[in-house]
Amino acid sequence: MMEIEALQYKGFRNLKDENGDICGFQVGIRFVAYRGPWLSQFRFAYVKVDDVEYGPDVCTFFVNGVEYTYAEMLKPENWRVKVQMQAPIYIHVKKEGGLAMGCHRVSVKFSEIASYIPERMDDINSEMFEMMHGNDPAYNRDMIIV
Amino acid sequence: MSTSQKPGIHRGVSTYCWYPLYNVNMTLEDSFEIMKDMGAHGLEILADGIIEGYPYPSKEWLNKWFSLCDRYEIVPVEYGHWVESKLYRGRELNVEESLEQLIHDIKLASYMGFTCMRTKLGVIDDKLTPTKIWRDFIRRALPYAEKYNVVMQPEIHWPTRLTDQMILDYVEFIEKEQTQYFGFNIDFGVFTTDATGMGMPPGMELNPSKPEDIIPLLPYVHCCHAKYYNMDENFEETTIPYREVVQIMKDHNWNGYLLSEYEGPHKEDYNHCMTQVKRHHVMLKRILGE
Repeated sequence: MMEIEALQYKGFRNLKDENGDICGFQVGIRFVAYRGPWLSQFRFAYVKVDDVEYGPDVCTFFVNGVEYTYAEMLKPENWRVKVQMQAPIYIHVKKEGGLAMGCHRVSVKFSEIASYIPERMDDINSEMFEMMHGNDPAYNRDMIIV
Repeated sequence: MSTSQKPGIHRGVSTYCWYPLYNVNMTLEDSFEIMKDMGAHGLEILADGIIEGYPYPSKEWLNKWFSLCDRYEIVPVEYGHWVESKLYRGRELNVEESLEQLIHDIKLASYMGFTCMRTKLGVIDDKLTPTKIWRDFIRRALPYAEKYNVVMQPEIHWPTRLTDQMILDYVEFIEKEQTQYFGFNIDFGVFTTDATGMGMPPGMELNPSKPEDIIPLLPYVHCCHAKYYNMDENFEETTIPYREVVQIMKDHNWNGYLLSEYEGPHKEDYNHCMTQVKRHHVMLKRILGE
């Protein structure tokens, strides 16, 4: 089972590399929706922690257990991979030393391209997206790193 | 053609009613149990979100599906799916690519026991005008729909009006092809007279269709999204003229399923969604004389 929010608390932790050094952190997201997009329709802006934005260049995405860079997700041939609704997408964020132990304000900004709604609503940076999710508690949570 | 086993208007539910709750505090089986509680046997699923492993569910999942439908007396009515047009940056899908998606969904819907599909097409404008090539891939899909006995139905959804040109285009297509395998799902949101619960985007007008606008379309309608935004404590929908619309359907001997689809606020609140859907079915039972 998942949490009702788009931003998942479960799975929020620092990550270690093969030498045991902390190299980043993980956060889970889900589409609070009736369907998941095909990978080429996924759109991602950032994970933000305490006002620091981590964009696609330092993130990889685990979808159905398989790791993708953002560029790989958007490859045309990856429209044949579907984001399933039964499990989160886990985002791995590269950050030497990870996040400090304690409470953090975490936000995410992601969306999908949907063929059945007008094109003007596709823009993740639109005012409408900001209006819908900018202060939405499902996309912005206080979460503790232990 | 009707999806009903007996003539008349039957009640059902779309899994849309509870979509934020699945895989959080609800399973598909839970919704089947609620449907049984209400005596609402017709089901619409949104295939992408409900079918685990979509578009290629496992044999185990499909066996579970058949077992649950049998146990809870579920009638698979409508299989909601999308014919994507925007999968590549910079270009829309062509006819072959659209057809490939459509044929796969026709086969899967039929295998799962559905007799209708809510065939959501890609759109090109704010009025939800479908992609220009829709006739080409729908025409080529008709033999598959006939072979597998499922009716493809675009959903007619606000802000589209029942008198808009796109509806006339659909009717012209059906009559020209002389097919029973393409029709409409009319979403009752087209009759909404109050935008309070809709979260209407700025600049959009309500402009509702009149209940009688449905009359010439009824021969092509196999099931409807019985949309509700606000069911009050007196078991009345406060924004849609339900009694008028359903009475017209009864007077014209329409056969098919009304599938509850909640699109009001607080969809993340289990108790609220439960109260709304139960009120909706009390209203429908009263109107239908059950």
